[in-house]
Amino acid sequence: MPGSAVALDNLSFRYKGEDRGSLAITQLRIEAGEKVALIGASGAGKSTLLRLLDGRLRAFRGHAKVLGRTLDPARTPSRAWRCNTGFVFQEFALVERESVRQNVLNGRLGRTHPWQSLLGRFSEDDHDAVERAMGDVGIDDLAGKRVDRLSGGQRQRVAIARCLAQDPALLLADEPISNLDPVTAQAVLALLHDCAARRGVTLLVSSHQPRLVARYVGRFIALDQGHVVFDGPPEALRDDTLTDIYEEAGPVPEPVS
Amino acid sequence: MSTRDSLAIPAAKTGAPPRDRGGRSPSYAPFLLSLALAALIIWSWTGSDIELDRLASSGGRIADFLGRMLPPDLSVLPVVLESSAETLRIAVLGTFGCVVLSLVLGPLAAETLTPRWLHRPVQWLLATVRGIPLLLVAMLMVGAVGLGPLPGILAVAFHATGMLAKFYAEAIDGVDRAPIEALDSAGASFLQKLRFGAWPQMAPDIVRDTLFRFEMNLRESLILGVVGAGGIGFYIQVYVRTFQYQKVATLTLVVVAFVILIELANGMIRRMLR
Ligand SMILES: Nc1ncnc2c1ncn2[C@@H]1O[C@H](COP(=O)(O)OP(=O)(O)O)[C@@H](O)[C@H]1O
Ligand SMILES: [Mg+2]
Repeated sequence: MPGSAVALDNLSFRYKGEDRGSLAITQLRIEAGEKVALIGASGAGKSTLLRLLDGRLRAFRGHAKVLGRTLDPARTPSRAWRCNTGFVFQEFALVERESVRQNVLNGRLGRTHPWQSLLGRFSEDDHDAVERAMGDVGIDDLAGKRVDRLSGGQRQRVAIARCLAQDPALLLADEPISNLDPVTAQAVLALLHDCAARRGVTLLVSSHQPRLVARYVGRFIALDQGHVVFDGPPEALRDDTLTDIYEEAGPVPEPVS
Repeated sequence: MSTRDSLAIPAAKTGAPPRDRGGRSPSYAPFLLSLALAALIIWSWTGSDIELDRLASSGGRIADFLGRMLPPDLSVLPVVLESSAETLRIAVLGTFGCVVLSLVLGPLAAETLTPRWLHRPVQWLLATVRGIPLLLVAMLMVGAVGLGPLPGILAVAFHATGMLAKFYAEAIDGVDRAPIEALDSAGASFLQKLRFGAWPQMAPDIVRDTLFRFEMNLRESLILGVVGAGGIGFYIQVYVRTFQYQKVATLTLVVVAFVILIELANGMIRRMLR
């Protein structure tokens, strides 16, 4: 792909009614195929940055180019563009009363004809993509189950499958493991890494647990009050840097051994 | 008492003498309340001129009364069945009417959908509608459009909207935004978000509430005929007033069977909805 997956220049954003800006990034590039962890204390701006890259933030200042398209601060991007970024939510954001398969199928909505889908008609391509996505995350046997019967780990797998069904080029995961136990968290991180690697998708995952994600990414970006305060490989992230990043939020959320 | 103690703390902080509010008046309040309640009951009793001995001697009369109901006079069965069917039709069309009205007023009363300056007045309007008894609405409707099932249908539709639109609004307010945001992120259109994000979350509630209201409408419609608004209520009134107890017996059996049948059907549908 020509150019970077993400290119931000002089980007700033402030929520309406807030006196302090939530994002202030001079320059940031993420190349296609990179796997990046986004870290920072609570309120550092991780979710805000991910929402921006997902095309869901309006009224920002500066230049933001994502997947070859310059984001318009005044307009919601087209359906076709929104399919290209997949978003994994901390709270899963699934339709609880629906089946696993329907939830994964929902990931195809942007790629279907809007009227056909309202009548419940999905193409062969759609169904193939759903089967492949469910296979990739290992939930084939849950396809007919209702989501509200699933465990947290299973739910996050469904949510990831929904993203994969979109056929995204950029996978954004906002604290995907903070509601999961450590073992499940590892499995979900491994899954995100493997799926991204297999499909050649750029991955940006935010987390409170830098030690846990370090194995699965090639690069760390740390935010503090909306500023990038660290950008480099996991090896370069020293303990005192971590302490600096987290100092204002009290104790480091996870002991660094 | 612990809640009262905690309530007393801010009073103390604002400088008011703590004993005054926290200590004494709370111990009076329950006493005064009990006194008022007792006065209310005594007033109701003495004002109603109730002779207890009538209750004591009623055993024989009730037996006599029941005896006169037997055997049920089945010759009125066709008339009773036909007017029950009319009551059912009133309930069905009345429910249809209140569903249509609620589909408009429900979203307008929803706090997550409609701005405060609009949803508050709509909520007040619905509360007012709920406050008007069905029989009163029916009498007004009979005055407006004449005798027959039509005023009954209109009255049910009007009266039931007060509750059903409120239920619909609550179903809308109960919708979780996160999955809808997720669909938006996946490129879903507005209608797709409504169909695949919002609707599956509220559909079971909407269906359950509508069935519940239909059941209530049916029960309440049974007496509409008393004021000339159609259905079986007309015969309830005529047979009781003219002491035709064997006909009343048939009518009672039909009504009970009818209500039980509808309840069974509703129960089955509800179980299918999980
Ligand atoms: N919807 C919102 N409205 C106003 N302020 C917000 C909103 N969301 C986040 N913020 C503020 O923006 C800053 C960054 O928040 P966020 O991006 O959620 O941080 P993180 O995900 O790193 O915890 C915080 O100061 C937060 O209070
Ligand atoms: Mg966040």
